[in-house]
Amino acid sequence: MDSPEQKITKTVSRVDASKESMANSRQVIGINFCGPTPLMWRADDLKSVRELGIIGTLVGSLARQPRQNTRLGRPLELLPEEGRLLADMGRAAVIPDSTNEDPEVNPEQVEQYHAGLENSFQEQGALALEDRKATLMRVMTKKHNENSGSQEDSDGAVRDRLEALAHGFSFPRTAMAVQLCTARAGLSHCPEVRRFLAADWPIPRDERSETRFRVFRDLRRQGFYLTSAGKFGGDYLVYPGDPLRFHAYFIVVCISMDESMPLCDVLAIARLGSNVKKTVLLCSSGGSQEDDGEEVVYTSLQWSGMV
Amino acid sequence: MADQNKTSAKVEFGNELLNPSELFEARTRSHKIPVRGQKDFIPTGSDQQKDRLQQSLDEHWNLVSEERVERLGNLVKAVWIPSDMKVELQSPAGKFWQTMGFSAHGKQCLHPEEALYLMECGNLQVFYQDLPLSIQEGYERFLYSKTMSVQHYQVFGHLKRLGYVVNRFDPSSVPSQYERQLNLPQSLDRSGRLPKRKRSHSPTSRHTGTQEGPTSKRMEEEKDCNREEEDKNPDSLPDLSAPDIDEIQTASYVDPTTSTEGGQGRSWWSKEGSPDPDSELPGQPQSSPRWDFSSIPFPDLGSRSWLPSSLTSPDPCLLPGAVGSVGACDVAPWLQRLNLREVRMSRRECERERDRDRYRRDINQDREVRRCRNWAEYQELQGRRIQRSRRDRPTHLWEGPVTPLHDPAQVTSTGELLDKISVIKSTRLLEGASSLKGSEEWRICFNIYQPDTVAEFKKSAPGKPYSRMCVCSFDGPVPDLWTLKLLAFQSGDVLVTYAVVDHGDISFYSFKDFQIPTDTSF
Repeated sequence: MDSPEQKITKTVSRVDASKESMANSRQVIGINFCGPTPLMWRADDLKSVRELGIIGTLVGSLARQPRQNTRLGRPLELLPEEGRLLADMGRAAVIPDSTNEDPEVNPEQVEQYHAGLENSFQEQGALALEDRKATLMRVMTKKHNENSGSQEDSDGAVRDRLEALAHGFSFPRTAMAVQLCTARAGLSHCPEVRRFLAADWPIPRDERSETRFRVFRDLRRQGFYLTSAGKFGGDYLVYPGDPLRFHAYFIVVCISMDESMPLCDVLAIARLGSNVKKTVLLCSSGGSQEDDGEEVVYTSLQWSGMV
Repeated sequence: MADQNKTSAKVEFGNELLNPSELFEARTRSHKIPVRGQKDFIPTGSDQQKDRLQQSLDEHWNLVSEERVERLGNLVKAVWIPSDMKVELQSPAGKFWQTMGFSAHGKQCLHPEEALYLMECGNLQVFYQDLPLSIQEGYERFLYSKTMSVQHYQVFGHLKRLGYVVNRFDPSSVPSQYERQLNLPQSLDRSGRLPKRKRSHSPTSRHTGTQEGPTSKRMEEEKDCNREEEDKNPDSLPDLSAPDIDEIQTASYVDPTTSTEGGQGRSWWSKEGSPDPDSELPGQPQSSPRWDFSSIPFPDLGSRSWLPSSLTSPDPCLLPGAVGSVGACDVAPWLQRLNLREVRMSRRECERERDRDRYRRDINQDREVRRCRNWAEYQELQGRRIQRSRRDRPTHLWEGPVTPLHDPAQVTSTGELLDKISVIKSTRLLEGASSLKGSEEWRICFNIYQPDTVAEFKKSAPGKPYSRMCVCSFDGPVPDLWTLKLLAFQSGDVLVTYAVVDHGDISFYSFKDFQIPTDTSF
């Protein structure tokens, strides 16, 4: 499988270089839609995306401890704005849903799967035997050191025990370790093929989504990290650095330029912000639908007193 | 990190597969999750911060990229059947069978969301077209319908991980209010419906014919022509054939004659001196609707003035056909069951009784009431009396199109009065809910049972759930009153909780009925 890889490195070098430092193997990140929800499955995709400043939310069970809710695992759910930004940057592509294809059994793949399983079983059996032998050796040498008998006798005894072990050892099939894959294996993970298969990113036509996207893009350009803020009554939470290490600074509420906000809403959100010690940012994007020349206007609310 | 990507791409092209040695080593993996440290407030760009960030990130990637490795013997095998949207087990189910799954055609099956949850927990391996499904394929295949979307599954998974028992909601399994009142044991088979009680109608004066005795003439005077209730077919009347001992109507006469036949088993009484009922109704068939209640004695066994030793046997024509003649009734054992003791009241109580009785009119002494032969006639009398009393009201108030809300002559309690004059009526959540039609958008999805009931939980008789769940999102509309009423009605007497999903965050809201108390003490 060497030639496709060589091809990949060639196509990658043709991609316009951006300010990113990691330019060696820039794979196109795959986004899979499950219904209307954009999800990402592969661990290296998640890593690449985080380097671009996109955080997302983990929504699946964690492999190590699936029955708890404090730390979740893959898949990563993206905000629609995050996905759209990645698509606009040319770094991600939507992988079309292939669940309806291949209605019949693929005998080649099944054979491959069973062969792989058998191979794994044999290797694991051998490893298990080696492991047992090593344990036995350890135990016997410890005993020998304690008893301090003659060297030849002990060597012979060890050899006998090892032979007995090899004969009587059985590695049952049920003891074999099997992997339950998280992400789907398949051709679609070849970066070149991904670029080829990319479907269009669904762009919503309503004003609110457009405002949200522009605010998101602008804040991201300034280097902030953003996550969703449903719990805080706003649209985004803004972090100065990676959310793993820093507290959020702002709660962003996106409103359109001409929209009038009732005073009780302003009071409510300001009160909320002061309770959680974050500044509330009211953001609107002015200008027309064109990409260039529009600017985002920020208004911050801070509860202050008259001294 | 770029190099890592390259090398992994070389080893397994596009896969995250572990080789056998890695699989073997996975047995001794740690199962602990490292604790997250304190966060900083200001990014200083210092090396210390950078190191700590890198450490946190490395830990994070370690956890996130870990793959599930399970012993083959611990995995239950199953097959995905897309046509039925279910997963069929091929090896026996484990402990999860107590709270999840269902049986179909003798096979153990799971719903798609249950199967996906078990896959994520590492208990189940689902095959489709002879190949095992990855978690991603599970999501994409099992969760593409509107009834079970990614949001629904997120709520399902969240609650299951907390330990709750979560089942799909079935609207037909909610007991109706009537069934709840009866406290019927809930069974899954709901084919039997309760038979309705046969209602018997009181005879009206329209059917008192000329064949009755002289007393009937008096009754005809009382007859009101615009009677609503129509006497139905004669078939309903045989219901009244058995004389009710409970019906207290002072009998005009009773013949306490001893009957000739010794009462064996059932003893009834008859009126010796009464004219033969057949002669009363000449030319009428046996099932005639006319009964002369003045001549059928209903003995007042509670009366203190007269205590019969026994009651005579009733006329056989008054009894149902096959019964024939029964003997006299020995009253003594019945009287023992009645409380005939004199009430002993203290002096104060006697005084209170006297004061009350001064203005109370005994309804039994009321001549007009005594002329009523059944409940329908009594209600007519009451209606007429109310009409009469209304004639005394001032005309300028009551004859116009707008009348006062309340007549001061009418007696009513403070609470009722407040209710009458209130402009805004308070209402309950379920009022008017039964007439609402279903909605496409808002549905109850799950039943939730508490975690501590898991030990005794039975799928065939789960009992009343702790709550029912409806899944929505912050992007969608807020449930309005119509939706709240609809779902509360569909749920019966179980609280409905709304799970709002917003990019992985789930918040739970519920709406409870609340009545503001009214003060009626003044």
